[in-house]
Amino acid sequence: MPEVKTRDFPAASAVSILDPQIRMALQRAGTGFDGGRRECIEEVTPQVWEEWREQARQTKLHTLDHLDYYLEMLEERVSANGGQVHFAADAAEANAIVADLVRTRGVRIATKSKSMVSEELNLNHMLESIGVDVYETDLGEYIIQLAEETPFHLVAPALHKSKEEVSRLFTEKLGVPPMDDINALAAAAREALRQRFLEADLGISGANFLVAETGTLVIITNEGNGRLCTSAPRIHVGITGMEKVIPSVQDLAVFLRLLPRSATGQRITSYVSMVSGPRKHDDEDGPEEFHLIVVDNGRSRMLADPDLREALMCIRCGACLNICPVYQKVGGHAYGWVYPGPIGSIVSPMLVGLDQASDLPQASSLCGACREACPIRIDIPRMLLHLRHKLAEEPDAGGRAKGTMPRPIANGFAKVMANPGLLSATRKFARAAQAMLLGSPISPLARGGRGIRKAGLPLLSKWTHSRDLPEIAPRSFGEIWKQELSNPDGER
Amino acid sequence: MAEATGTPKSEFLASVRRALGRQAGPPQTEYPRLAQGIEQLEDQAREVRERVQANRGALLDKLAEVAQLRGWQVRRTPDPEEAMDYVQSLADGQGANRVVRSRQEVFEAVPLDATLTGMGITVTEVAHGEGASRESLREQIAMSGMGITGVDYAIAETGSAVIVPRRGLGRLVSLVPPVHVALVRPDDVIESLDDLFLMRRLEYMRNGGDMGPYLNFITGPSRTADIEQTIVVGVHGPKEVHMVLLG
Repeated sequence: MPEVKTRDFPAASAVSILDPQIRMALQRAGTGFDGGRRECIEEVTPQVWEEWREQARQTKLHTLDHLDYYLEMLEERVSANGGQVHFAADAAEANAIVADLVRTRGVRIATKSKSMVSEELNLNHMLESIGVDVYETDLGEYIIQLAEETPFHLVAPALHKSKEEVSRLFTEKLGVPPMDDINALAAAAREALRQRFLEADLGISGANFLVAETGTLVIITNEGNGRLCTSAPRIHVGITGMEKVIPSVQDLAVFLRLLPRSATGQRITSYVSMVSGPRKHDDEDGPEEFHLIVVDNGRSRMLADPDLREALMCIRCGACLNICPVYQKVGGHAYGWVYPGPIGSIVSPMLVGLDQASDLPQASSLCGACREACPIRIDIPRMLLHLRHKLAEEPDAGGRAKGTMPRPIANGFAKVMANPGLLSATRKFARAAQAMLLGSPISPLARGGRGIRKAGLPLLSKWTHSRDLPEIAPRSFGEIWKQELSNPDGER
Repeated sequence: MAEATGTPKSEFLASVRRALGRQAGPPQTEYPRLAQGIEQLEDQAREVRERVQANRGALLDKLAEVAQLRGWQVRRTPDPEEAMDYVQSLADGQGANRVVRSRQEVFEAVPLDATLTGMGITVTEVAHGEGASRESLREQIAMSGMGITGVDYAIAETGSAVIVPRRGLGRLVSLVPPVHVALVRPDDVIESLDDLFLMRRLEYMRNGGDMGPYLNFITGPSRTADIEQTIVVGVHGPKEVHMVLLG
């Protein structure tokens, strides 16, 4: 697995939120991707969109509830088509399967189309360690690979890179002259990778969907790199999470409508490639061998928890990222592992361990925009709350203080709020204290004038250091009601 | 085919069952789509064909319109001579010395070879055997400035050309050369994605569980927006795609 940096979320997000380039990139994704998505919904009408969402959701729910059955069907059909399915319990096992194929088939060069699961495995690192030249071929992934970084966004991995940075990177790594035209940069990547496609022994792809009934792997791309990776080399290995399976090839219609519209605002991508095994005797081209590696790597933990199972319905469109007020400020790297954004704040803790990623479920205002945007209607806020609940109930799970408010204070707060007399007395005391503190020119709480800015209150510092504590009003609503609003004669 | 490595299937499936807390076996209620047998699909497919037949003119209009929106350069003509002139002008504009094409029925209606050869262009039909190995054909494809194919389906809903495997139709012909020309006959048009997958599922069942090793959609040129969300065409696949609609 790649290095898990999910613990660094508070520090990393504090840095990235101030980065003007990241802010600009995120704004582009917001208007480009999410704007396009909304246009698509208007075009097909919100009513039809809701029907599609419901259909897709029901299909996914049914498949997950009977996942063993459909995985078995998938394995049988892939075998019948002349392919080979391998099951991997974890990342190490998945890597060992690939390493074994590399050794026994004498693989020297591999081309790879985009796969988030391969990021979970740190597959490229493993391949390089056994002497395979591996090339990412999606332009964004290629840039990220050259820069030795991790993806910034589920569908746009190099979203955060400016064209100037890409040009410097290409000059350094590919030896091409500097260029300021994006067309020229893409052409340089095409040039650098074209020969690799034709030389490669092994093509590696992910899967957007697996069709159980026909034993088919489906990938959706715009560049054509996915089709080249799965058509040109003599071996094709698909690597995918076990949750990608759907029952029937007829289910694809609705998913092919939802996914590109939700991801990039496209009605359909340039290429949809469906692979059902190695080439047959009469085929002009295509791989001689087809292997499918089905990966668990922590997914059965999500499957076993009825409260979290629906996170496995995710089709990785990234719509929840583009609309999330937190992701839109901090960007993808702050999340510290493979899956960023709202869905990543559920998936990453479940795959790397909740104790490793206890800050991620807090990285949400629970506004519900992600649930609105999700083409499968995944109830992300409910699951984030569920994870917060788990963290609060199991204080030792993380080996660090859970939540942002110490328990005695939370209990005291609950007591005061439940007792009107106590509340009134507390308010009077607080008002007096506030007047005293804000009145003093040397008060640390009065920074910036009227409000109590980012107060460093003892015991509450975790809660208050990044939040403005609102001033206590001169009169409470209860007092206003009593004094004015409830007056039957309407006298003011 | 080699042995599976990793966790044995039975063990892996057992762990999934443990997570779900369920016993082995099919769902209590069969998934509705999988419950439909070949007779029902035959009936539905007949309805689809009748619907397409009755609306062919409107569907061709829609295909032309949507395909254009998705990035195809659409040329619509029922006249094979005019279609050939168009392809000739494209080859001329490209300055292509080599062209590859598939071996498909449509080339009997639109016999391009003589026209292109007359321009001094080397035309290779991509079909192995008869002295042409897969490797040599691949080299021909890689050197060609244009690839020409027919299609198996053209979907009006999405503006997509769909290709399924057959002798004489490589996947790389429509992918590797910088220009792809798709020749679409009126009979190829279908209305929607639902139509396509219904037909393919029926085909799968008729063939006793064989759908062929691939099914490829092409919808417009190769494109990317991976640098600063700026759209660039022709990154790994063709930068230019032409749909010649023969009706």
